[in-house]
Amino acid sequence: MKKRIISSVMAATMVASLAACGSSSSQSTTAAATEAAKAETTAAAAAETTAAATEAAAGGDEAVTLKWALWDKDATVYYQPLIDAYTKEHPNVSIEMVDLGSTDYSTVLGTQLSGSGSDFDVVTIKDVPGYMTLVNKGVLEPLDDRIAADGIDLSQYKGITDQVKISDKLYELPFRSDFWVLYYNKDVFDKAGVDYPTNDMTWEQYDELARKITDTTAGSEVYGAHYHTWRSTVMLDGILDGKATAVDGNYDFAKPYYDMVIKQQDDGVCMDYATLKTQGLHYSDAFAQGNIGMMNMGTWFLSTLIAKIKSGEYTDCTNWGIVKYPHAEGVEPGSTLATITCLALPTSAPHKDAAWDFIKFVTGEEGATVMAGTGNIPAMSNDKIVSSIASMDGFPADDTTSKDALVTTHTYLEMPANDKSAEIETVLNEQHDLIMTESEDVDTGIKNMNEGVQAILQK
Amino acid sequence: MTAEMNAAKRKRQQALVAYSFIAPNFIGFAIFTLGPIILAMIMAFMEWDGNNPWKFVGFGNFQNIFTDDRFLAALKNTAVYAVFTVPLTLIMALALAILLNQKIKGRNFFRTITFFPYVASLVAVAAVWNMLFTPAKGGIVNQILINVFHMKAMKWAAAPATVMLTIIMFSIWKNMGYYMVIYLAGLQGINQELYEAASLDGANGWKKFLYVTWPQLKPTTFFVVIMLTINCFKVYDIVYMLAGGSNGVVNKSAIVLVYYIYEEAFRNWKLGTASAASMVLFVIVLVITLIQFRGEKNYAND
Amino acid sequence: MNSSISRNQKIGRFFLYLLLIILAAIMLVPFIWMVTASLKPNKDIFVIPYQWVGFTPRWQNYVDIWIKIPLAIFTKNTVKLTLIVTFLELLTSSFAAYAFAKLHFKGRDALFLAYVATIAIPWQSYMVPQFLFMRKIGLADTHLAIIILQAFTAFGVFMMRQFYEGIPDSLCEAARIDGMNEYQIYAKIMLPLSKPALSTLTIFTFVNTWNDFLGPLIYLTSEKKKTLQIGLKMFISQYSAEYGLIMAASVLSLIPVLIVFLSLQKYFVAGIASTGVKG
Repeated sequence: MKKRIISSVMAATMVASLAACGSSSSQSTTAAATEAAKAETTAAAAAETTAAATEAAAGGDEAVTLKWALWDKDATVYYQPLIDAYTKEHPNVSIEMVDLGSTDYSTVLGTQLSGSGSDFDVVTIKDVPGYMTLVNKGVLEPLDDRIAADGIDLSQYKGITDQVKISDKLYELPFRSDFWVLYYNKDVFDKAGVDYPTNDMTWEQYDELARKITDTTAGSEVYGAHYHTWRSTVMLDGILDGKATAVDGNYDFAKPYYDMVIKQQDDGVCMDYATLKTQGLHYSDAFAQGNIGMMNMGTWFLSTLIAKIKSGEYTDCTNWGIVKYPHAEGVEPGSTLATITCLALPTSAPHKDAAWDFIKFVTGEEGATVMAGTGNIPAMSNDKIVSSIASMDGFPADDTTSKDALVTTHTYLEMPANDKSAEIETVLNEQHDLIMTESEDVDTGIKNMNEGVQAILQK
Repeated sequence: MTAEMNAAKRKRQQALVAYSFIAPNFIGFAIFTLGPIILAMIMAFMEWDGNNPWKFVGFGNFQNIFTDDRFLAALKNTAVYAVFTVPLTLIMALALAILLNQKIKGRNFFRTITFFPYVASLVAVAAVWNMLFTPAKGGIVNQILINVFHMKAMKWAAAPATVMLTIIMFSIWKNMGYYMVIYLAGLQGINQELYEAASLDGANGWKKFLYVTWPQLKPTTFFVVIMLTINCFKVYDIVYMLAGGSNGVVNKSAIVLVYYIYEEAFRNWKLGTASAASMVLFVIVLVITLIQFRGEKNYAND
Repeated sequence: MNSSISRNQKIGRFFLYLLLIILAAIMLVPFIWMVTASLKPNKDIFVIPYQWVGFTPRWQNYVDIWIKIPLAIFTKNTVKLTLIVTFLELLTSSFAAYAFAKLHFKGRDALFLAYVATIAIPWQSYMVPQFLFMRKIGLADTHLAIIILQAFTAFGVFMMRQFYEGIPDSLCEAARIDGMNEYQIYAKIMLPLSKPALSTLTIFTFVNTWNDFLGPLIYLTSEKKKTLQIGLKMFISQYSAEYGLIMAASVLSLIPVLIVFLSLQKYFVAGIASTGVKG
């Protein structure tokens, strides 16, 4: 009895003290958590004071700590090199990475930037729908004035920045740009005695090639092609002639590609979408099985593939290459899909000028060199950078086919900026799913896409 | 006169004692949960993106959701899910609890195992499930369908017609161990003398269940039914896991209320719409709870 | 006659155990999958047909999880949060539940209903205002925020109240006549009688806090404060997913949950309540 009373009294005190910490987090010393919190708060406060001083002195030598919101801190090879390169030139600046996780990045970032209490100076933008929601919320600073003041030449991003302008204002600058290529497993082609794909193939030739190397024998299947479950792998093959985009409200352009892939699926040329979707097989693991001839995928897969082959995990796809995306009849080869990763400046950033200087560095030429050095493709690309990536250890050392595949002529964003990007995506993804599981035919699916998206656009 | 005053005083005192019992939980709950919930209720009548000032829109959000195909589909799917999952899970959980309350060898072992699918990682449980119920013809369940029942192979989670069925079966399997634990605790509270008395009256196993176990478990069953109903209406992650698959696309045949709320709140940042949808969910569950509550009161008065 | 009963009983027993074993098999498959997957390289995990036996185990996974992420720190944080939350939840819930079940006061049923009904509101709909409020009072990125969010739940009150309902009122009345006050009745009679219920609540709270993901994800941004479940998600990066490592860490993170479950089993024994009633 006594013991119980004592313990409940203790608990009550504990609750009280915990509550006390809540109201004055900078004074209490009870729990370890609050102590840590206190340290943090003091540091933040200190940083804020110095920040004010820095801004007043317009880039003086006062110490500044920039908080950078990003994902996959440890799995991404270029964050630290970028920071090192920057802080070497600006010893007064230190940069703290805040990892918000990859899977729910947009949710967490959106929540953190709500209200006005966020202390992020620089935020990474993962995709266009995420960018749009932040712009709509009004939490990102338009960069146009700063771009004009510092004389940044946007043409070096090859028109990509035009695709993310919203009512003529730009709220982000890209530092990484990935585009889609066709990966192939040379062993599969050798075994079938078929010539390798080339940098100049039409979709018909690609389809024919996929069928040639396919083997449907149960137990030892070889798939000529592989499509990951994303909508981009099929539907967006249709936008590469530059005549339509994914937010136009008319998707008739996608029909030939859905027809081709559904037929391949029925004939066993590629794996069944329904199985792939429920089984959860990652595209890199699918390619690693060694029974896939060709796979369309972004250039982000290059570094994974090289690393996993080097570490000895992938043994059945060590002999690989890339070629340019196939193209429609009459379209110049080298037209492909792109996704960009960008940096933006939150309106609530405590050290705006310092943050802008860092953004300028990462998205500019110096940042691009660092990015290329880590085997990733910077948004600002040129011949030198292509050569630098192609000379990476583990990059296919065939003739120049794989290297040439890295040269693009036109790149189209998978999802251009539009007020309704997120809602449009929901409609398109649903119809893609229904078409690919063959729950509805291609014509119905496309009709539903058209009607669904038009309804959203008219709202 | 004094007696009356004393009675009033006692009543007040008793109320004070009661409040002192409730206070530690209630204060924390009220400030950090109830407050935001009330805000959310107000938000249902506002337009808010999480940053800009609130804008009053009256019943606009409700008008929007009730004309949104996705919301209506979510409402329907959630209802279907709850109607099947609540009774079936309850029956399975109770049966398991009674089975594992007997004096059998390795009781603790079996009890622990039943709890396993609930605590094991969702990824693992879903992976095993998808292995059994794969849409491929070679899958175990499809093979049984083809060879034993001479039916066609089904696409399970990948087809609009069967996706809810797949989710319901999965959910029962995963969660019955959880409710079994509650029933198990409830069974321990039953006075053994009641069983002895029933035996003397010549009651067999079924009669004992009917006249002793079931009535004695009423408060537990009340709790289980309410929690099951609430949890069914709040189902989210298993739907995302099973129906979303590797690309996370959950379409109208499988979307549920909380998934809709999540989408509106964090993909479209329409927090007002999300709140309005939550209020609809809240009202549904409130009505069910009130009906149950009345039932419990009647039982208590018996 | 006697022998035929015992034969029937034997047959009954046989089917009982058969049923239990089949049941156990169905329930154990996910766990076996977890263990086998935790010993495979990533590329072999989601391949069909799944290889249950006869592969070379890759013990390196169990080493890598400690190197690739600061798992030890995450575990320490999770243990700390889980213990504090479970303790507070048990204490405040059983305390409040006593008033709801055994005391009479004005507005009792309405207040209780309000408690229960709020469980129905999905967190997603009030997460943002809650977060903004917590940040305003300086609790963003603190463990205290998670403790506060998890420790005062309506769920615990509801559950404990239902179990107290099952304990006869006459017991309390008798104690009151004996001169005990309400706090004594709670401590001396109710708590000992509700061991199965307290055990259940302990298990549930422990499991919930241990496995909580979205709360810590939103609130805890600095690495040294993050928890196990956030750590697990770190193996899923934008361009790859290390399911071998996830499963290795998941298997390890299951161990404390199982220990709690098994060690509380001894309270799931009939008769505690009945002896109480007799006394």
